[in-house]
Amino acid sequence: MSTKAKMQLLLFLVVYIIIGLWNAKLMTAPPSEALKNIANRWIVQFGPEKVWYYRINPMTVIMSFVVIAIIIAFARSVNKEYSLIPGRKQAFTESLMDFLYEIVESSVPNEKYARTVFKVAMTLFIYIAVSNLIGGFIPGISADVAVAQEGTRTVRFVLFNDTWFPPTGDLNTNLTYAVMVFIISQFFAIKTKGVKGWLKGFLEPVAFMLPMNIVGELAKPLSHAMRLFGNITGGGILVLVISYLVKYMFLPPFLWGYFGIFSGLIQAFVFSTLAIAYMSSSIEG
Amino acid sequence: MDVSVELAKAIAVAGKAIGAGLAMGIGAIGPGVGEGHVGAHAMDAIARQPELTNVITTRMILADAIAETTGIYSLVIAFLILFAL
Repeated sequence: MSTKAKMQLLLFLVVYIIIGLWNAKLMTAPPSEALKNIANRWIVQFGPEKVWYYRINPMTVIMSFVVIAIIIAFARSVNKEYSLIPGRKQAFTESLMDFLYEIVESSVPNEKYARTVFKVAMTLFIYIAVSNLIGGFIPGISADVAVAQEGTRTVRFVLFNDTWFPPTGDLNTNLTYAVMVFIISQFFAIKTKGVKGWLKGFLEPVAFMLPMNIVGELAKPLSHAMRLFGNITGGGILVLVISYLVKYMFLPPFLWGYFGIFSGLIQAFVFSTLAIAYMSSSIEG
Repeated sequence: MDVSVELAKAIAVAGKAIGAGLAMGIGAIGPGVGEGHVGAHAMDAIARQPELTNVITTRMILADAIAETTGIYSLVIAFLILFAL
């Protein structure tokens, strides 16, 4: 191991222990008090009435823009050193794209649509992977929201208490992408089979199965979104609950490693692979 | 009067805890069996054709993640019972 790597590891250890001691000093409340607010979200209500479409989750919006900024910065840095003999970043990007493109190519029956499907799936993969990673194992600012008895929410920002809030930990984000994939796949189905063929597809194998087919189609985006949401949110809450007593001292890096890096990347891959599967199943060759 | 209010609160907490525990415990049976099947057959396939290990491992993890879905649903339901109800 080089001296530089040793110095970096030492620096990481020192910062880690300082944050751990700081947290241990702050965390004196019993678990039932400290973990009371972990399921609450920061919600801002505006407009004349208290209705659902006048409501936003500021944390999701802010973190979405952070993720977008990270991806754009990376893309620009790759673009700057773009050359025939690839550098490190470019080789990484190219091998990632090649990996997913092979899956798309082998599963889309009509190769005319392969590029479109690839663009949608790759965009989803990059966004979800970056979002899961920053929410998975990087401690940062998080919003601690207390809900009073009459429904008023008080927001308090805490530093290094939790990881960054991942946008995919909000069902709204996931459902948006899942519905987007659903609409694109229906569009492909109409384009390749024609409106008549598309409507006929619901009557197969017998006309009696019509309600089943409709429910089956509508269940796809729901299960698609709930899978990612459950994994990310569940992982985050599990890490918080398990590591409460030994916060930031020993256990959390391993839990972050599993729930953040491993599970996050796998779920991003599963999401984009299922998007490919849904889209290519509706394309007729 | 005060005792009955306390008792009602305690019964609510007990119901939440039992419900969340049952939801997670019973919900974990299916994914466990399913992932076991996936892993066992992947091992069989690798033993038969060791040169396909990379492809099989990727597909196995994908299948595992999909088999896990129902377990994740019960986790979400357990959290809903515990925190949102």
